[in-house]
Amino acid sequence: MTSAVTIPRHGGTGGRTAVAARARQVVKAYGSGETRVVALDHIDVDIARGQFTAIMGPSGSGKSTLMHCLAGLDTVTSGQIHLDETEITGLKDKKLTQLRRDRIGFIFQAFNLLPTLNALENITLPMDIAGRKPDKGWLDQVVETVGLAGRLKHRPNQLSGGQQQRVAVARALAARPEIIFGDEPTGNLDSRAGAEVLGFLRRSVDELGQTIVMVTHDPVAASYADRVLYLADGRIVDEMYQPTADQVLDRMKDFDARGRTS
Amino acid sequence: MTVLKTSMRNFFAHKGRMALSAVAVLLSVAFVCGTLVFTDTMNTTFDKLFAVTSSDVTVLPKAAKSDDTPQNGKPESVSASVLERAKKADGVKFAEGAVSSMNVTVVNSHNKNMGSTTGAPTIAGNWTRNDLRSMEITQGHAPRGPTEVMVDADTADKHHLKMGDELRTIAVTGDFKAKIVGIATFKVTNPGAAVVYFDTATAQRELLGATGRFTQINLSAASGVSDTRLKQNVSSVLGGSGSFKIQTEKENSDENRKGVGEFMNVIKYAMLGFAGIAFLVGIFLIINTFSMLVAQRTREIGLMRAIGSSRKQVNRSVLVEALLLGFFGSILGVGAGVGLAVGLMKIMSSMGMDLSTRDLTVKATTPVVGLLLGVVVTVLAAYLPARRAGKVSPMAALRDAGTPADGKAGLVRGLIGLVLTGAGAFALYTAATADKASDGSLVLGAGVVLTLIGFVIIGPLLAGGVVRVISAVLLRMFGPVGRLAERNALRNPRRTGATGAALMIGLALVACLSVVGSSMVASATDELDKSVGADFIVQGNQRIVPQAEKAMEATPGLEHVTRYKDLEAKMTSPDGKVDDSGITAADPSYAQDLRRKTTAGELSAAYGKDAMSVGSDYAKKHGVKLGDTLTVAFKGGATAKLKVAAITDDDVAIDQGARYTSIETMKKYLPANRIPPNEIMFAKAKDGQEKQAYAALKKSMEPYPQYQVRDQTDYKQELKDQIGQLLNMVYGLLALAIVVAILGVVNTLALSVVERTREIGLMRAIGLSRRQLRRMIRLESVVIALFGALLGLGLGMSWGATAQKLLALEGLKVLDIPWPTIIGVFIGSAFVGLFAALVPAFRAGRMNVLNAIATD
Repeated sequence: MTSAVTIPRHGGTGGRTAVAARARQVVKAYGSGETRVVALDHIDVDIARGQFTAIMGPSGSGKSTLMHCLAGLDTVTSGQIHLDETEITGLKDKKLTQLRRDRIGFIFQAFNLLPTLNALENITLPMDIAGRKPDKGWLDQVVETVGLAGRLKHRPNQLSGGQQQRVAVARALAARPEIIFGDEPTGNLDSRAGAEVLGFLRRSVDELGQTIVMVTHDPVAASYADRVLYLADGRIVDEMYQPTADQVLDRMKDFDARGRTS
Repeated sequence: MTVLKTSMRNFFAHKGRMALSAVAVLLSVAFVCGTLVFTDTMNTTFDKLFAVTSSDVTVLPKAAKSDDTPQNGKPESVSASVLERAKKADGVKFAEGAVSSMNVTVVNSHNKNMGSTTGAPTIAGNWTRNDLRSMEITQGHAPRGPTEVMVDADTADKHHLKMGDELRTIAVTGDFKAKIVGIATFKVTNPGAAVVYFDTATAQRELLGATGRFTQINLSAASGVSDTRLKQNVSSVLGGSGSFKIQTEKENSDENRKGVGEFMNVIKYAMLGFAGIAFLVGIFLIINTFSMLVAQRTREIGLMRAIGSSRKQVNRSVLVEALLLGFFGSILGVGAGVGLAVGLMKIMSSMGMDLSTRDLTVKATTPVVGLLLGVVVTVLAAYLPARRAGKVSPMAALRDAGTPADGKAGLVRGLIGLVLTGAGAFALYTAATADKASDGSLVLGAGVVLTLIGFVIIGPLLAGGVVRVISAVLLRMFGPVGRLAERNALRNPRRTGATGAALMIGLALVACLSVVGSSMVASATDELDKSVGADFIVQGNQRIVPQAEKAMEATPGLEHVTRYKDLEAKMTSPDGKVDDSGITAADPSYAQDLRRKTTAGELSAAYGKDAMSVGSDYAKKHGVKLGDTLTVAFKGGATAKLKVAAITDDDVAIDQGARYTSIETMKKYLPANRIPPNEIMFAKAKDGQEKQAYAALKKSMEPYPQYQVRDQTDYKQELKDQIGQLLNMVYGLLALAIVVAILGVVNTLALSVVERTREIGLMRAIGLSRRQLRRMIRLESVVIALFGALLGLGLGMSWGATAQKLLALEGLKVLDIPWPTIIGVFIGSAFVGLFAALVPAFRAGRMNVLNAIATD
């Protein structure tokens, strides 16, 4: 028995609820009969608005699957997922695409940018696709924040890995999504560049009130979060608030040991 | 060995990606093999036909040629006494005289022509024992009297003829009617000739206008006597071959076959030319496929190199894949080719040319040629990509692959391309300003080839600019999706260039031909307007027989009727040179029917007694002046001294270089039975009666459906239709190359979609809808297609305009660019782009977002 349902500690902005996204009894299974593999096993989780949430767990624990389901990239077998007040489970592809476009930001581990577009075009791409004009002031602020002002006309192949990820962060922030999902956004970066990117994510939560969910297996990355969820075998097995890298590492070791003895 | 194994595995692993290349090889090989099988089958059909229609030994009049009717419209013949003499030769089993004429038209009681519509002749003759070898009487009996006729079963079927129906035969000696008493069926395939038989006396009287004459003597050899032996015997009995043409069965059928064979060769090489264009276009597709496969496999190749594969091995592994592709594509192509040939035969049959699949001829060389061509072309096309694969450094294995590096178009390429294009443009300019058409044509050809190659080479460089322009006009309205499409089209100019170039080739030819064709119509119309004064023109594929001439002359409401006859004659100019291009005899009213400028004298004077006119080119060349006397030896007649009374300006397309004299003058020097029927006739209506006269003329020519009666408007329309038909046929053949080019666009897009899987996943993740994604791919496709179209149409129009400038010397004076066609092709290309993107866009839209992102 896990006590995964948490009461958010601080409210969101405006009239919105304090929960940016919630999952109820979410099951994701592949195959059927004997070959059935359960990736998510009746998961309940609330993602608090304005918080930085990290999802951790060993390989195959279902952490990426959970994020993909929350983000509307993947479908669930059963259960419900709400983004704010919108139930996204059961939405058709068209609505889902619109939702991802207008309300969600993404940062992937690698290959975040279109090689044919320059940094600025990549940043404004989701808004361009939606046919919206970017908010100039906000865009400047985001660009300023991630420190890309001088490199906006560069193509991705003219940028370093760290710079590319910062462009990706800027893209995720620029459209002011309700929630940003990161899939190991620093997985391909060295520790300095990684720290830079994580710093921006942290600041966007603190200064801009952004909601961020990030999958990672790096305790240091997780330590930037307000809250860490631990997944194992498709279930949330633990959580931790205001973690430090050491605490996270210890907890991981713990799970590892338990995993081995069980 | 491992190289082969990897190649095999790669080939089968990526067979989906090679599918379209294989189809391109298949189509081209199928067209080549189809052409060969079709023409071989036609030849077999004729061979079989001629083999049974030729008797063991044939005696023909000396001058007879199988495909030529003599000047007076009656076939050459020999006297019946020749038959009697030939019968006495040793080794003759039996001999018989045959009468046969191809200069006839057979109509039914509704004046409908019973002849073939495909150009096959109508043959009238007497029914002989020799005919029993190729035909059998399946209904009724052989004709026995002057009112009896037997017809071949194919014609009877086609025109629903029954026993007892009346047929009218129109020969130069007159019309005569006979009732059908028999129907004979060919035992071999008759490709389309309509055949009617009479008894010997009737045939002689009605076709030759004489009794006791035959057009040929058929001799059958007694057993044990060879054809050659019999020929010698007959030859000695007839006093040498001096006055006759004596042929064995083989010689006779060979001669008949030669004419058909030459015609078939023209068809064959023309069709092979179009197959060659399709191959050329297919090369671009294959190059693109292998370039993309190599690019996508860069990391894998790097790994192979890192663990010790030599350049050569990598290179070879790609070529082996090409070999496999070529092999499978060609094998299927050979099979499809046979199917194509059968299809063509069916089409020909439906148009009235009967061909039987019994005669289907697949020579052993056909699959060999197809296979060899397919494999060699594929391997050659894959050579450049294979070399590039060999150059992949082992370091590539370590690098993050991401998307393959975008190919940049090099400076060297640009320079070579520009030099070639420049040289080509210069050649075109030279051709356009050439003084003589014959000099310019070679230069024109060089210009066409050079500019084409030049454009293919600089295509990738042009792609950048042209795509941007097209995008600026067209894609901007599609917003960000349009911009993404533009960038995608621009990211690999070499690929876009090659894909567009493939389309360019076909469309350039279409544009060029449409310009030439439409200039031909415009020039002819222009000249007709300027020079033709006749209201009506009567002409057909049989020369105008005297009875039709009389019918025309009897038509009410005509002011005059002009006869026009081409005569064979040898003409000696004052400088002693002999020219045998003949002379035209016409009525003086011809000077009104065709108004011609003269450089000296009055044209009407040329129709005076013992007068004539010559063309200005001839006059200049031989120093002929007004008032000079030329010696004209009429063939079959006397030699005349004619005075040059006019010199016509040769800067025309109609009757260029013609010499005119009057029919009266001709009659003085040619015996009546040597006067040929009219080639063409003209008429002018009385003032204000044009309409009635046209109707009356049509009415009076109704019994002679082999002649077309046209006024100027109809004549122009018919000319336009004829050129239009010809163009449509050529477009139809070019369609193959265009289809292959469209496959190339599909191929490029499909492979690009595969290559950009991750990008597509990313875009979908951040909110690009399926519709937007599909639109993006469609727009990219449209841009590539329009790029090819723009280049092709531009190139083709400049070729066409050059050709017109060159041919202006031959009378193609008016340049007419058919803008509706050009614009139609351009817009059509946009639709081709949309169409080509259907499947790739559908597949991209169906991609699972998560899998796409996860793709390596």
